[in-house]
Amino acid sequence: MEDRPSYAAVFYMFLRNSLVRDLSFRSNFWIECVSSLSWVIMNLGFYLLIFSYTTSIGPNTGWGKWEFFVFLATTLLVNSLVQMFFMPNIQEFSELIRTGKLDFALLKPIDTQFLVSFEKVNWPSTANFLFGLLLMGISLFQLTHRPERPIELTATMVVTFVIFLLCGVAILYSLMIVLAASSIWLGRNTSLYDFWFYITSFSRYPMEIYNAGTLGMSLQLIFTFAIPILIVVNVPARIMAQPFGVSETQMWALPIYMLVATGMSLWFSRWVFKMSLRSYRSASS
Amino acid sequence: MADLAARASTWWAIFQINFHEKLVYRGDFMLGTLMRFLPILTQIFLWSAIFSAKGESSGNAEIVGYTYYNIVAYYLLSTISRAFSSMPGLASGIALQIREGEIKKYLIQPLDLISFFLLNRIAHKLTYYIVAAVPFAIVFFLCRGYFAGWPPGHVLAAYFTSLVLSFMLGFFMEATIGMIGFWFLEVRSLLFVYMLFTFFLSGHMFPLDMLNELGGPWALIVKSLPLMYLAYFPAAVFLEKITGPELFWGLVVQVGWVVFFIIASRLSFHYGVKQYSAYGG
Amino acid sequence: MPPIIQIEKLTKTYEVYQKQEGLLSSIRGLFHRQYKTVEAVKGIDLTVDQGEFVAFLGPNGAGKTTTLKLLSGVINPTSGSATVMGHVPWHRDNAYRRRFALVMGQKNQLWWDLPAQDSFRLHQKIYRIDADKFQRSQDELVDLLGVKELLSQPVRALSLGERMKMELIAALLHSPDVLFLDEPTIGLDVVAQHNIQQFLKHYQQERKITVLLTSHYMKDIAALCQRVVVIAHGVIIYDGSLSGIIDRFGGYKIVTLTFADDNAQGSLARFGDVISEDYPKVKLRVDRSRVGEVLASVLDQYELADVGVEDPPLEEVIADVFSLAHPGDKSANEKLAEASS
Repeated sequence: MEDRPSYAAVFYMFLRNSLVRDLSFRSNFWIECVSSLSWVIMNLGFYLLIFSYTTSIGPNTGWGKWEFFVFLATTLLVNSLVQMFFMPNIQEFSELIRTGKLDFALLKPIDTQFLVSFEKVNWPSTANFLFGLLLMGISLFQLTHRPERPIELTATMVVTFVIFLLCGVAILYSLMIVLAASSIWLGRNTSLYDFWFYITSFSRYPMEIYNAGTLGMSLQLIFTFAIPILIVVNVPARIMAQPFGVSETQMWALPIYMLVATGMSLWFSRWVFKMSLRSYRSASS
Repeated sequence: MADLAARASTWWAIFQINFHEKLVYRGDFMLGTLMRFLPILTQIFLWSAIFSAKGESSGNAEIVGYTYYNIVAYYLLSTISRAFSSMPGLASGIALQIREGEIKKYLIQPLDLISFFLLNRIAHKLTYYIVAAVPFAIVFFLCRGYFAGWPPGHVLAAYFTSLVLSFMLGFFMEATIGMIGFWFLEVRSLLFVYMLFTFFLSGHMFPLDMLNELGGPWALIVKSLPLMYLAYFPAAVFLEKITGPELFWGLVVQVGWVVFFIIASRLSFHYGVKQYSAYGG
Repeated sequence: MPPIIQIEKLTKTYEVYQKQEGLLSSIRGLFHRQYKTVEAVKGIDLTVDQGEFVAFLGPNGAGKTTTLKLLSGVINPTSGSATVMGHVPWHRDNAYRRRFALVMGQKNQLWWDLPAQDSFRLHQKIYRIDADKFQRSQDELVDLLGVKELLSQPVRALSLGERMKMELIAALLHSPDVLFLDEPTIGLDVVAQHNIQQFLKHYQQERKITVLLTSHYMKDIAALCQRVVVIAHGVIIYDGSLSGIIDRFGGYKIVTLTFADDNAQGSLARFGDVISEDYPKVKLRVDRSRVGEVLASVLDQYELADVGVEDPPLEEVIADVFSLAHPGDKSANEKLAEASS
C-alpha cells in the first residue's frame, strides 16, 4: 500500500461533498449568490459614480474608466477564488482549535494543512467569479475597440494573467493562514473577517494612488515588501489593462518580484501553520 | 429609589462584564481599533488621486462642494458616526436567540428583552469608547489640518444630538430586523443585505451629496431612507453642509425615524412572541 | 510477541491563563499574564498486549482523555516515551495514522449537513481504501449496527445514538488494529448504550483488535473489559480486573442480619455503620478485618433467622476511590497511595 493518499482524489471529494451540501439548501444557495452579487454591483455603482466626476484615477497613470474596470474585474476574480476555496475553511480553522475538533484533522493520514485549507468549498462564490469574467470581457472589448491606442490581446497576455492571478490567490491564502494562526495566540477568532477586510482594502486600488507623500511611499513599500498585499491585484491587472503610466522597468520587475513573494508567502504561511499546530499540541490536554 | 439603585447596580454589573471581556482579548482589540482606520486611509488616497487627476492645484478643486480637505474630514467624521450607529452582532444575536430557543428565558424572567439588549449595548459602546478613545484621539490629532477648526456651539450641539440619535436609530433598526427571526429561521442573508445597504447608502462609502448631480431619482430615494442618518447626516452637520431650517427638519425626521423603529421593534416583538408561543416550542 | 502499546513515564503538563478578578487586575492582565501549570498526566507506565480490551476509569480531569490523545499523537508529551505498534505516536507518520482510530463521544467528525455515506467516501479517499475492501467493510459495519436505511439521511437528522453508530463506522472503515474510544456512550439512552456495547464486543472478539476505552458507565466496562486501569490525578492507582477493584479498595463488607425477633436489644452501632434498619432486617457496613469477629459476637448475643455477607456494590467502591482522590487533599492522596501499594 502506498503511503501518501491521492490528494487529487481527496480534493475531488471535497468539491463533490460541498456541492451536494450547498445544493441541499437550494434557496440559501441562490440567496447567497444574489447577495454577494449585489455587493459587487453596489461597488460597481460607486466606481461609476466616481468616474462621473473624473476621467482617471490619478494624473497620467493611465487608469481610465475601462482600465480601472479591468482592475476591478481582476479584484473580483481573485477574491471570488479566495472566498470559494479558503474563506470558509480558514474561518473554521480557528474555530476548530477553540472547540478541540482539530484533533480529528490531526489523526488523518494526510497533510493537515491541506485538509484544513480545502475541506469546504463555497460554491455560491462562482456567481462572483462569473460576474468578474463578464466584467473583464466587457472592459477588454472596450479597450481593444477604442479609437486611440487600442490594446492588442495576445495569448501570452492571457496566460501570464492567469499565472499571476493564481499567485495573487496564493498570497492572499498565505495571509489568511497567518491571520488565522495568529488569532489563536491572541485568543479570539471572531474578528478574523474584519482584519481580513481591513488589510485587503490595500489591494483594492491601483498602487499609483500611493505615489504621493512620505506616508504614501512608505505604505507602498510596506504593502509591497513586508505584507505583499498591494501586488496581488496590481500585477495581473496591469498585464491586462496596460495602463500607460507604468514604467518599463516596473512592467517586468514587479511580476518577477511577485513570483518570489508568492514563494516566500507560501513558505512563511506553512511555517506559521506548523508553529500554531505545535503550540496547539503542547498547550492542550 | 431602591428600584433605581437596583437598576444602577445591574447596569454596573453588565458594564463590568463587558469591560472585562474586552480586556481579555487585548491584542485583538488594540489591533482591531487601529486597523479600523486602514480602509479610510486607502479611501483618502483614492480621493487624493482623483482630485489631483482633475489637474487643478489641490485645495481649490471641488467635487459637489467638497474640497479634498472636506472629503478627508468627512471620512474621519463618518467613522465617528459609525462608532455610534453600528451594532455589530445585535440583529444576528437576537435572531440566534430566537432560533436556539433562548428567547424563552425572557418570556419567563421579569426582564424586558429590548431594554436588556439596549442596556447591554450601551455598556458595550461605553467600553468601546473608553478603550478606543486613545487611537481615535491620535488619528484626529494627526489629521487636524484637514479640519477648518471647531464649528460654532449650536452646530456642535446639533451634532452631538444627531450622534446620540444615530445610536438609537441604529439600535432599534437592527433590533427590529433581528425580530424577523420569529418568522424566518435563516436571517443571515437578510442581514447581509442590510449590511450592504448600510455600507453604501449610509454615506460610509462616499458623501451622499454626490448623488445630487447624478440626475434621476437616486438622490431622492437615498435621502428618504433612514440609513443616511447612520453616517452621513451627523458628519454633514459637523461640516456645516446642512444648516438652518434644513438642519432643524433633518433632526426632526431623525427623531421620527427613531420613534418609528422603537414602535416597530416593540410591535414585532409582541407579535413575534405570539407567533412563537402559538407554533414554536 | 512484544506488547502492542508500551508507555513509560509519560507526562503531560500545560499552562492555562489565569484570569484575574476585578477591574484593575484586568488592566494589568493587558501587559502581563499569569499562567498556572496543570499536570494532566504525571508519569504513567502501562503495557497493553495485542487483543486486550482495556478500560480507563477515573474522575473527570484525571488524565484519561489526555492519555488517549497522547497515544493518538494529537498532542505532544512533556516527557516520557510511548510506542504503539512500534510507532511513536507523536511522530505522526502516515503508516501509524492508517492503523488506529479515535472515537470521541462528545465530538463528531462527520459532515453535519451531509448523509454519513458522503463522509465515508471521503474517508475512503483519505485512508486510500480499495473500492472493493471499502464496500465490504462498509456493508459489514452497516449491517452489524443496523443502520442501512439511515445511510442517505443527513447526519443532523439522526438521533444521538444513530450518529454515534455512524461515527464508529467512519472510524472502523480502514480496519484499524488499535481503537481508542473516549466515552463512546455518553448521553445515550439505555438501549442505544446496549447496542453499542454489543457491537464493540462482537467486533473486538471477531477481529482481535486492541481497544482502549474510557467511560463513566460501569455497565460499559463490566460488559466489555477484562482489564481496568484506574487513573486519578494523572497517575495509575490500579491496574487489574474489575472485581479486583473491590478487593483492593472495598475495605468493608455489607453484613445483612435477619433477626428472629422483631427487635434487637441494644445498639448495633458497636458492630459497624448501620446502613438500614428495617426489622427484622438490618444492614451493616463492617470493616473487612472485623467481619469474623462481628459475626461471632452477633451470633453469640442474638437469635438470627438469616445472615448474609456481601461485597459492597462496585459503583460505591469506585465513588469512594474517586472521592478519596480529591485534589489538594494530601492525606487522602496518601491514603490512596497506601491503598494501592
